[in-house]
Amino acid sequence: MQGRGTRAQKEAVEMFNELLNPYNHADSRIAADAQSVHRVIAFSPVKWLGVSGGLGAVALVTFMVCLGFGTEAISFPQVATLLIQGVVAEAGAQDTTQSIILWQVRVPRVLLAFMVGGSLAAVGASLQALLRNPLADPYVIGISSGAALGAAVAILFGVGVSVFGLSVLPFCAFLGALVSLFIVYRIAVSYRSFSIHTLLLGGVVLNAIFSALILFLTSLADPYKASGMYAWLMGSLTGPDFQTVIVLAVYLVLGLAILVSQARSLNLLTLGEEAARSLGVEVEWVKRVIFAASALLTGSVVAFSGLIGFVGLIVPHAVRLVFGADHRLLLIASGIIGGTFLMIADTVARTLLSPTEIPVGVVTALVGGPIFLYLLVQQRRRIVS
Amino acid sequence: MTQLRETPGHPPLRLTDVTFGFGRKETAVQSPVLKNVSLAIGSGEVLGILGPNGSGKSTLLKILMRILEPQQGTIEWFGQPSDAFSQADIARRVAFVPQETQQAFPFTINEMVLMGRYPHHGRTWGLGWESSRDRVVAMQAMTDLDVAHLGTRLITNVSGGERQRAVIARALAQEPEVLLLDEPTAFLDLHHQLDIARIIRRLNRERGLTVILVSHDLNLASQYCDRLLLLREGEIVTVGSPEEVIAAASLEPVYGCPVLVDQHPQSGRPRVTLPV
Repeated sequence: MQGRGTRAQKEAVEMFNELLNPYNHADSRIAADAQSVHRVIAFSPVKWLGVSGGLGAVALVTFMVCLGFGTEAISFPQVATLLIQGVVAEAGAQDTTQSIILWQVRVPRVLLAFMVGGSLAAVGASLQALLRNPLADPYVIGISSGAALGAAVAILFGVGVSVFGLSVLPFCAFLGALVSLFIVYRIAVSYRSFSIHTLLLGGVVLNAIFSALILFLTSLADPYKASGMYAWLMGSLTGPDFQTVIVLAVYLVLGLAILVSQARSLNLLTLGEEAARSLGVEVEWVKRVIFAASALLTGSVVAFSGLIGFVGLIVPHAVRLVFGADHRLLLIASGIIGGTFLMIADTVARTLLSPTEIPVGVVTALVGGPIFLYLLVQQRRRIVS
Repeated sequence: MTQLRETPGHPPLRLTDVTFGFGRKETAVQSPVLKNVSLAIGSGEVLGILGPNGSGKSTLLKILMRILEPQQGTIEWFGQPSDAFSQADIARRVAFVPQETQQAFPFTINEMVLMGRYPHHGRTWGLGWESSRDRVVAMQAMTDLDVAHLGTRLITNVSGGERQRAVIARALAQEPEVLLLDEPTAFLDLHHQLDIARIIRRLNRERGLTVILVSHDLNLASQYCDRLLLLREGEIVTVGSPEEVIAAASLEPVYGCPVLVDQHPQSGRPRVTLPV
């Protein structure tokens, strides 16, 4: 029983639709041949290679410039010569003072800064997509302090303990990061509509709780150990050796590779979990992968360099403004620019009041904090208008 | 109750005794949002789901899209139990246009529409750049929805109507056989309402796209749907042609107010207005 009305009625509907439908005229339909498509939609892999290559070159130059700064200034051409000699020549062939300072002190430190900054920025970008919150940052929402608590427990109760030759320190930091990430995620989803401010408030409180626990643990420690803990908590890239840098690099490359492999899913997750699922994303699985990779990156970074804030916030934000929101490019570009930013921030931290060092976390907070506040006010305006 | 229309072969979609509630299983079944919903949808049909606020319309669509999982009953897509498909399997054949699209990140319209190609790539390790075919399909969808000229504009900077058209274009880029729409015209002004309704109608006619749409707008549904389904408190009250469903006898008890039904002057379809 369809009761579709009389033939006359049906014809009237057809005519009505035909007459007024602007899209029905054959000549107004543009043929979507491959050529016009390529003209309209930029060919992304080319852009991707160009941007990452260009940014990589900028990072390399910045790396070399930063190596020149310090109590013993080394000129740019000298840095270049020493680097090339160090790579080409046999190890130890160059044992001038400058070469030793460069290779044993500055290269590990500046490399560490690059890796830490890059990881924090990439984690920031991923968390922003996952939580659908452009103001998410591992430090601001309490992931870093969770990792720090894990690391503090490890330092106070069993530093030097190692399992299969690996220090337990990064592992404890990883667990701390994972737990706080889980709490933050629960807070974020407790409000069905996506609320920027709930998450930030949750982060503030989480930070306060974790800081209190860390301070409590620190007060149990002997004063010498405690002062070292304070320095580490402020964020410090002091005195890594090559071995540390290599161990960290393994963790970070693993974590970043996982994040980048999920770039397309991250793009879709910014639409919300329901929309992402309807487009074919296995949301629960992707979320777990992103959680694990973010905790791995945050945990290892915090274990080696303490609390460094706001890199994960301002860098992805700036990158989005310039290169757009596609995570395939965003993650790579944020990584390189975040690394470059922290190399510069650390160079400022160690040279501004030389020979005294400012903790690099202080520098990033002084630069990033005001930018964060500015963005917060802007978000508010956008929501209101 | 009207007989469900059967088509030869498998109907694209069949629900049998679907019951769904929020919360834990016992409480969910005691106070369900949907109660014993059974329904078959024919290939190439435009089905409108109507009902007052809170009658379970959107919930029904989310169950079809497997965003929500019913506690009881079975859902068959294309003749197979819905669990037999991965999320991407479903997304290659069924597309969903949500009620409202909030986007806090500055994707371009091009990028948004290309996201519709995601299920055709399977689980992607690696960057998964779109192929030439992906771009052609996306471009065609954008042309169909008249948003091709907006390709490089940011989704955060276009009007509500343009954003909604882009989201429908994204759904078409999935190359679906079935299109599910949740209030496709809810936040649009008259001009854009008409645009969207006509586009959907045309896609149905030209390509045989099966359409299931949830709407508040009884007149729009009456005008553009082959068959209507009226829900009240999670139960199907009537299923049938617009003439059967858009009638005072079936609408008044559901909406709890008197209505006047006459004929649309152009199409002759039933039209609802409220008494003075």
